[in-house]
Amino acid sequence: MNAGALSLKNVAVPGRLHALSLEFAPGKMVGLVGPNGSGKSTLLSVAAGLLQPAAGGEVFWSGERLAGIPVIERGRRAAWVPQEARFEFGFSVRAVVGQGRYAHGDDTAGVAEAMARFDLERIAERPVNRLSGGERHRVLLARAWATGAALQLWDEPLAALDPRHGLETLMLGRELTRGGRTLVFSLHDLRVAHCLDEVVVLHEGRLRAAGKPEAVLTPELLREVFGVTARVESGLTLFL
Amino acid sequence: MKTWLQTTPLVLVATAVLVGLAAVSLASGDVRLSPAQLVDGLLRRDELAATILWQIRLPRVLVAMLVGAALSASGLVMQAYFRNSLASPGLLGVSAGGAAGAVVAIGFGWVGFSLLTVPLMAVAGALVATGAVLMLARRGASTERLLLAGVALNALLGAVTSYVLSAHTTTYERTAQVLFWLLGGLEDRTWEHVVMAAPILLAGALLLPLGRPMDLLSLGAAEAQSLGVDVRRVRRWLLGLSTVLTALATAAAGTVGFVGLIVPHILRLLVGPEHRRLVPLSLVAGAAFVVGCDLLGRAAGGLRLGIVTALVGGPFFLWLLRREER
Repeated sequence: MNAGALSLKNVAVPGRLHALSLEFAPGKMVGLVGPNGSGKSTLLSVAAGLLQPAAGGEVFWSGERLAGIPVIERGRRAAWVPQEARFEFGFSVRAVVGQGRYAHGDDTAGVAEAMARFDLERIAERPVNRLSGGERHRVLLARAWATGAALQLWDEPLAALDPRHGLETLMLGRELTRGGRTLVFSLHDLRVAHCLDEVVVLHEGRLRAAGKPEAVLTPELLREVFGVTARVESGLTLFL
Repeated sequence: MKTWLQTTPLVLVATAVLVGLAAVSLASGDVRLSPAQLVDGLLRRDELAATILWQIRLPRVLVAMLVGAALSASGLVMQAYFRNSLASPGLLGVSAGGAAGAVVAIGFGWVGFSLLTVPLMAVAGALVATGAVLMLARRGASTERLLLAGVALNALLGAVTSYVLSAHTTTYERTAQVLFWLLGGLEDRTWEHVVMAAPILLAGALLLPLGRPMDLLSLGAAEAQSLGVDVRRVRRWLLGLSTVLTALATAAAGTVGFVGLIVPHILRLLVGPEHRRLVPLSLVAGAAFVVGCDLLGRAAGGLRLGIVTALVGGPFFLWLLRREER
């Protein structure tokens, strides 16, 4: 029971998410898809322990009740990347990435490597509030990487990135999961969803389907959930 | 560790400036003291100088230091808490809350009970104001919303103060006292006021270890929580300490505006936004700033402290607003 890296049991958030149960195995790269407002961000917030599920729902990390894990330890075990990257103060890129080490009690270990991975070395000393949207997102991703957490929860990491950095981010995500970590992230690009280990489809706050992309992303489901007509050919979604 | 090594020299520089300004402040006045007289007076070897220093000037300078440290650190904390670099005790109405509390205590003649009545009532008033700000403007609220909440609170609490004032106009002395709170000043400060403001040192010390969590919090509460910051606990400490700091400063010197806005801003421009540096620096630099403003006011023929900080801070604030717009 609850052996997965992340398990959601009967988790609900009033008005946003109907009760659902999901299990994510270690080493998997999982995509959360669904139209705007379908509950993807809510699900990620609950999984990260930032939003309390309604009574009766429980979140487990590696089989352990999330509610019983001290906040500081949570910072070492899971990393969450928000959808919006807004900075009021002009911390340097290096300082923000270093914040990923807060729960470890240092601010340098692995920071240079994380910045290199997300192509931030050139702008390491620039203030984050002067960066472009995509650059700010890469800073947050590098900070999540620097935590070294086994569970990575990213809310639309690709939306603000240019094609090259988007592709690199996917490859970095794959590197994480090959190392046994678990990555759950929300996305809108269904062509990308086809390359993932698993896909979870949310629709109007309900779990609509979950499983391997080829089994889940059928033309019928795409029409029903997204209202688009599409054909799936050799692992690719072609919109008509 | 590295940050600590980088911070110490900066704090030492700020301390040197503070000590220099304090020495000038102690030496100047109706009776000018030479450096030698200053030392002799402090060591009580020169009776006249000792009387001037220990009875009049030392309490005044010490209150100035404590008030400056408190308001500056309080502003820094509020800016991190609200994630808005324009938040400060004066603009948000927390100072006005402290003053209203103090004025109520004085106006109703409760001061006789205990020396603690005024600071305690100031803390109560400041807490009410902080609570109101929290209800009116949620964290991460836009500058407009935050400042409008402050405008409303300042007007409301000013009305409370004015009411108490007008209800007691028959007593000349009370009125003079109440006026003093509204304008803010360091006239006639005694050792009683130093004692009243002394807990500022403790509150300031309690802020020191909160520098790093403040960094994370200033970039977003959910992010900070996900990285391992106990956001609820840290927030309670920050809000409690900044409110107490403002209240004690107000209890000791009335409403002195703009210190909590100007000092953190200048420091951020000088040393960057990291709170591990800003917290200790804001305490020392804030003290130096208020001692300097007091000196300036005295040199200008006895301008009250609150008027000097407003004359310096008003234009600075308008400049900041313009800068924000761009």
